[in-house]
Amino acid sequence: MTNNTSSANINEKLLTAILDRLIPAVGDVPSAGKMGLSTEIVRLSGQQARFQGIFNNAMQMFELANSEFILLDSVDQDTAIRNFESHKPELFKSLLTISYIVYYKDARVHKRIGWSGRTPQPEGNTMEPWDDSILDTQRKREPFWRQV
Amino acid sequence: MITNNDSNQETSDILVIGAGASGGAATAWLAEAGFNVKCLEQGYWQDPSKYASASKDYEFEMLTNWAPDPNVRQRAEDYPVNDSNSPVTPVMFNGVGGSTILWTAHTPRFHPSDFRVKTLDGVADDWPISYDELEEFYDLNDEVMGCSGINGDPANPPRSPRQMPPLPIGNDGKKLISGFEKLGWHWWPSDSYINSQRYGEGRDACNFCGHNHMGCYQRAKSSTDITYWPRALRNGATIETGARVRRITTDDSGRATGADYIDSKGNEKHQSARAVIMAANGIGTPRLLLNSASDSHPAGLANSSGLVGKNLMFHPFAMISGTFPEKMDTWQGPLGNIGLSQEFYETDKSRGFVRGYTYQFQRSLGPAWIAKGGFRDPVPWGEGHHEELEKRLGSVMAMAVIGEDLPEQHNTVDLDPELTDTDGIPAPRLNYTLSKNSRDQLDHAIENAKKALKAAGAEDIFVDPMMRQSGWHLMGTARMGNDPDKSVVDKWGQSHDVDNLFVVDGSVFVTGAAVNPTPTIQALALRTADYIVENRQDLKG
Repeated sequence: MTNNTSSANINEKLLTAILDRLIPAVGDVPSAGKMGLSTEIVRLSGQQARFQGIFNNAMQMFELANSEFILLDSVDQDTAIRNFESHKPELFKSLLTISYIVYYKDARVHKRIGWSGRTPQPEGNTMEPWDDSILDTQRKREPFWRQV
Repeated sequence: MITNNDSNQETSDILVIGAGASGGAATAWLAEAGFNVKCLEQGYWQDPSKYASASKDYEFEMLTNWAPDPNVRQRAEDYPVNDSNSPVTPVMFNGVGGSTILWTAHTPRFHPSDFRVKTLDGVADDWPISYDELEEFYDLNDEVMGCSGINGDPANPPRSPRQMPPLPIGNDGKKLISGFEKLGWHWWPSDSYINSQRYGEGRDACNFCGHNHMGCYQRAKSSTDITYWPRALRNGATIETGARVRRITTDDSGRATGADYIDSKGNEKHQSARAVIMAANGIGTPRLLLNSASDSHPAGLANSSGLVGKNLMFHPFAMISGTFPEKMDTWQGPLGNIGLSQEFYETDKSRGFVRGYTYQFQRSLGPAWIAKGGFRDPVPWGEGHHEELEKRLGSVMAMAVIGEDLPEQHNTVDLDPELTDTDGIPAPRLNYTLSKNSRDQLDHAIENAKKALKAAGAEDIFVDPMMRQSGWHLMGTARMGNDPDKSVVDKWGQSHDVDNLFVVDGSVFVTGAAVNPTPTIQALALRTADYIVENRQDLKG
């Protein structure tokens, strides 16, 4: 399922500039582009051929429509992104989704938001055991299922 | 493709097509009764240690290589489904265990009224069987799969004790439930085929990782590869994986003789059998029956009624979520297994629609899942992103609406004239529109969900009026009935046209009820297998 053949076609400078507008700096964590996430985004998108095709198409279409994006000021960059979002919503969704996925697996982000960063397994979580008293009210109710 | 038409294999008593929820149950039951059973499964065995929940890229994996939609997942063992004429996309998994690998294992039962909708409400058709006739098989299935839950639910008839106590409710669950309690509405802890304590063969208790929709690393969530299949194999059943069935074959008299299939190495093969059981789900089964047209069955196998592939039912889902001011660690505990409400389950014609719906309570997961819009819209990008993410993380709870979708003949699975799988076998095509009754149900449910969320203290409520990727429950496309002109199989799941062909998956449903269907599918599969054991010893070699 891995297909890295067209990863080299991604304009990482452009991707970095887009990332800086999608996820801005907060606290001591820089914006997503300045965090250097573009390389990981390109790598991860190559882990499935179908997704990679959509993502690469998104980047190519964005570049085609915004060849001077890197030179724009932040207000115009945001306008360009919003235009792309409204005209190519599915392509934009792929770009936004993988940007969020990669951003929120970064240890610097975990530290800032207080997220453990563990994979769901094998450790799991702990919960208070079942307590039957929560059903006290419902148990007083007469059966109301429909007889046939 | 390598061509090697190998038909020298041993003739099986029973050939089962599909190793999922129903195929596993039927195979195990028949093998225990001494039948020589072989199963053909187009997917493969799964290694729980390699499920996405243990991958550092689990969020990406669930969107791609482990996506529940086969058109997105696109594994070699998947087949494409043309869903361009359906507002609901199909959701399934191809492998040993079938869709129980990726399900949430929320396992309520049908109500007695669900089998009598024509008599009670004047719509659709009654089932040819009753709840009472199915109850012992529900109980048997609970025992094998392992049910966590508790008796006393006033919305359902009394039943045998579950094997395990309910899963924990959690602070998030308590919060959501408080809304129902304030409104005086019904709720009850979920029945779940998830271990709340150790149960079954080598199966641990749930460790509340929250990602039971990803396959269970812990083997706490029941799936048939770890429940029915070990029993089946111990009793002599065999399974061939990577085996994609091209057609069910028939003899000159029209009786089933086995199946043509392509094995994992690309060889064309034939497996002969004295009887065939279809267990390939509500899309895969009609696809194969229609692909099995012959001189004896020109409209497709078992299709003299013309109803194979018709009456497709989903449970169209609406999702209503609320953001609470409290932080509740909502990622702890199985995603959709807190509880349900069936306050509006039974028909009340003053509501303007017939039949009703269930609310299934839902948690929310970690930051990437929240950011990309789990159960609601994505967190906005740009300025304000961080503030909104922090507001939602650990604070979003949701209610999925499962409404009863009534059968309509224009909702169909047929064969796409152009699309094929990688072996050139015609792919299925969906044609589905949501009925006014189903839409009215969902709208009613949305308004009441808002009331419940507000009563519980939610501040920001978001409505998805119908989730697109929600076709988990595939039903009705080879319906059962007493009249051969109005149904495909009889009340035992046996084809009216072909006496050695059976269907045991959700295709046989006459109506869909308003609950997750798998316990009912498996109970029906066990009932059909029991019928064969008791009445069809002629199928034993």
